[in-house]
Amino acid sequence: MEYPAEQFKTSRQHLIDLFTTGQNTKSFPEEHTALTDQYFQDSLREIPLRRSLQQQGIPFALVALGGYGRRELCLHSDIDILVLFETKVPVQAKTLIEETLFPLWDLGLDLGHGTRTIKDCLSIAKNDFEVLTSLLDARFIDGEYSLYLDLIEKLYKKVISKKARSLSQWLVGQDKKRLGTFGDSRYLLEPDLKEGIGGLRDYHHMLWLAKASFGPRETHDHVFRARLSYQEYQELQQHVNFLLDIRNHVHLLSHRRNDRLTFAYQEEIASRLGLRDHKASFAVEQFNGLVHATMAALKTLSHYFIADLVSETKKIREIKKIHDIPRGLSIEQGELGFDASRAILENPSLLMTIFELSARLGYPLSPEARRQAREFLYLVDDSFKESETTVSSFVRIVTQSNYTFETLSHMIDVGLLDSFIPEFGMIRNRVEFDAYHIYPVGIHSLYTVKYLKELSRKDDQLLPNLIAEISHPERLFLAGLFHDIGKYKRNHAHAGAVLTKRILKRFDYDKEGIDEICFLVRHHLLLAETATRRDLNDEKVMVQCGRIIGSVERLKMLYLLTWADSRATGPKAWNDWIANLIRDLVFKILHILERGELASHDATRKVEHIKSEVRKHVAAGTYNDDLEDSFEQMPPRYLLNTRPREIVRHLNMVHRLKIGLYTIENKSEDKEKEVFIFETRNDEVGNCWEITIVAQDRPGLFANMVGILTLNDISILSADIYTWRDGTAVDVLRTTNPLDGLFAQEKWVKVQEDLANALAGRLSLEPSIGDKKIPLNAAGLKKAVRSSDVVVDNEASDFFTVIEVYAYDQAGLLYRITRTLFALDLDIHSARIATKVDQVVDVFYVRDLDGQKIEDDKMVKKIRRVLLQKLKHL
Amino acid sequence: MKKIEAIIKPFKLEEVKDGLSRLGVKGMTVTEVKGFGRQRGHKEVYRGAEYQVDFVPKIKIEVVIDSKLVPQAIALIREKARTGKIGDGKIFVIPIEEVIRIRTGETGKEAI
Repeated sequence: MEYPAEQFKTSRQHLIDLFTTGQNTKSFPEEHTALTDQYFQDSLREIPLRRSLQQQGIPFALVALGGYGRRELCLHSDIDILVLFETKVPVQAKTLIEETLFPLWDLGLDLGHGTRTIKDCLSIAKNDFEVLTSLLDARFIDGEYSLYLDLIEKLYKKVISKKARSLSQWLVGQDKKRLGTFGDSRYLLEPDLKEGIGGLRDYHHMLWLAKASFGPRETHDHVFRARLSYQEYQELQQHVNFLLDIRNHVHLLSHRRNDRLTFAYQEEIASRLGLRDHKASFAVEQFNGLVHATMAALKTLSHYFIADLVSETKKIREIKKIHDIPRGLSIEQGELGFDASRAILENPSLLMTIFELSARLGYPLSPEARRQAREFLYLVDDSFKESETTVSSFVRIVTQSNYTFETLSHMIDVGLLDSFIPEFGMIRNRVEFDAYHIYPVGIHSLYTVKYLKELSRKDDQLLPNLIAEISHPERLFLAGLFHDIGKYKRNHAHAGAVLTKRILKRFDYDKEGIDEICFLVRHHLLLAETATRRDLNDEKVMVQCGRIIGSVERLKMLYLLTWADSRATGPKAWNDWIANLIRDLVFKILHILERGELASHDATRKVEHIKSEVRKHVAAGTYNDDLEDSFEQMPPRYLLNTRPREIVRHLNMVHRLKIGLYTIENKSEDKEKEVFIFETRNDEVGNCWEITIVAQDRPGLFANMVGILTLNDISILSADIYTWRDGTAVDVLRTTNPLDGLFAQEKWVKVQEDLANALAGRLSLEPSIGDKKIPLNAAGLKKAVRSSDVVVDNEASDFFTVIEVYAYDQAGLLYRITRTLFALDLDIHSARIATKVDQVVDVFYVRDLDGQKIEDDKMVKKIRRVLLQKLKHL
Repeated sequence: MKKIEAIIKPFKLEEVKDGLSRLGVKGMTVTEVKGFGRQRGHKEVYRGAEYQVDFVPKIKIEVVIDSKLVPQAIALIREKARTGKIGDGKIFVIPIEEVIRIRTGETGKEAI
């Protein structure tokens, strides 16, 4: 009695081994089904009960239901079996089941069985569509065939004929439920191969509806052939087999019935299918692309198929009067069609025109038209792709329609988009292997365009304003469509720009437009990456972004593209948190671009020129990397306003400062010593001295320097002070000649000593200068006191408060000002001191000791009040 | 065992994460958070409309580690997350009573 079960066990194990090692040549589910059938037939032959039932005139049949009926038995699938009797279930049924089914339980298979009469089956099926559909899949295994036929005949006659409509409604309802559950983004990444959107269930629905509409047929081929083209039918079979194969792998790896293709299995299955990592994409990404393409195609097929079958219930669209229908096209019941296949042959551009019409009216193509479009795709050749008519139709679909998303989706479905833009075909089904991207690239690109076009005030107030201000929104839409087109290559943004250029050149698009669109594609990650990876409080970073972007119009477009791209990527890529970061960044760049001082084209060019000059003149032996690193440290204003030779000199001084600091750090006895590099030189042209001091910045440094000079009766004509990003202060001061021209060098030595003492806290400046008599000016008269002015400006910069001081020049003035700023806890980051005859204009870029702008109104007023007071007192 | 909670600037996440991993920290929880301390939000005006940013975006990292590792972890986060400017964030150290790994039921250090 054990024999059939033993044999089944052995042959089943053999089949599993073949599958595990990848040696199976035929479909596992079919083979598995065949083996199971074989088992039932063998075991029935062996048991004596069969004969005794026959002798008693009690006919029975074994019927496979559900997946088993459809020959879709994967490794751990349920085996649903019906033990069918005619009018009454006899007492022997129990023994029959024990002898045929129990051995399978012992093998660990999931077995579901029912023992029913024909009447039972029909009455349950009437009320329970789950049972009804499983009966639609019924397949005879063994026993009395006539009994089986009787069941099927009655099923169609008594149940299906009456319930066909409510069955199709039930199926539509089921589809909605599935969409609710499995349309969720998690299932796009980890699809459910059976219930998921585009899963096997879609195929089952096609089957059931076909059977319910056309009656019982052993093979579904005929049914499908009536509704699908030969090619579509072949594709359908292929998709189903592929999904079944993957599902079997999932069963094998998870050791249980499981239809969810989770991350844990994707890599393993990809390698089992023989996919290998390539330079541009991982095996698992190729695999996900395949799965997704399959499920998308299956969804499309079932969508059309089912829509066709339930079309009687379809509401007739309200038809608008349409006058300008292009020749060769027609509209019937709100669906677009070709007049005749010949029309397409004569005028291939109709393939595009029909979609343009669809995009204009929002009407879909009829199923027949879709089939024709698919079959005539071979007409899409180079001249089609470059033709002005088709290209301008396509551009209008993308840029001018309210139905862009739907139309492009349909163009993808029939394959036209891939044929027309082969570059798009390369990325369409690419799936990124992470939780961040929830759509394959093609759909993601379509969503990006969709979001751009549907920007409403509900989402945000700022974005709709911006899109209204853009002079060429159509460029933005095309950039949205193409932004990820380089996705199959490394550095996809850059590669994408190259591909986009190729496509747009083929389109014969205008040159300026090409430049703008390619710019957007190339830099579509700039804002998101900068916002999350760089310090937004670093002015230099903002200036660099500003220089890359170059214009306010481009910034606006880039911001909109970033927003749409992120939203279309998935919920993790766009939320309030990141929206805040990016908006902050955009405003900062906007301010820099609007002011133009640091990021205009001129500024950018000038900085590049200065850099290259510095590279030429820098001392031999300096490493390129070190030099570029130093450029990074220099604040934008410094790089823009300092002569190359001066920069070279400063670099040298900074280098000496670093060595000095290093030496001190390693010698404990020198800890007290202050390190700074001090250089003076006589500026013959200006007939004045120039002092350069390089030191570690700290609050009060500049005030100290100015104080020492004042103490030594040296007045400052002008100054440029800068703080580099690593905290090195580079200050250049121009003075009037030291009073005693002959002993200039000695004077400078003294200044240097005083400065060292002051910085080390051994010399207190305040009392020393307070004692000094204020010298009279050249005329020997005290100046008539005229009002000075102080402006505290928080608008000029996002990073600093700018304080401008206008005053009449007097000895000690600059010291008073800088000393006051220090006392107010303000840190001078950079400053420009200028004297014109007797009018002083001092501009200070300051922050508080926390490194923040001074935005508190009270504090702003206080700064102004205190400064004005100090100026008056002089 | 201690829990270290660090609020840091978003662009410092990678550095801190890599540093902690190198230190041997096996897992961490990262959250995108918003808030304010001494660094306040600010207001932008564009075409007459105001865009208020009340809270500053930050990253919160949480790790639970052996008490012995705490000084090193703090030093590391301070080093990696520091820009020297306002808004560099804060580190909180919180005692942890017990850790249980749900799958195995392991407790204490083993479960970290």
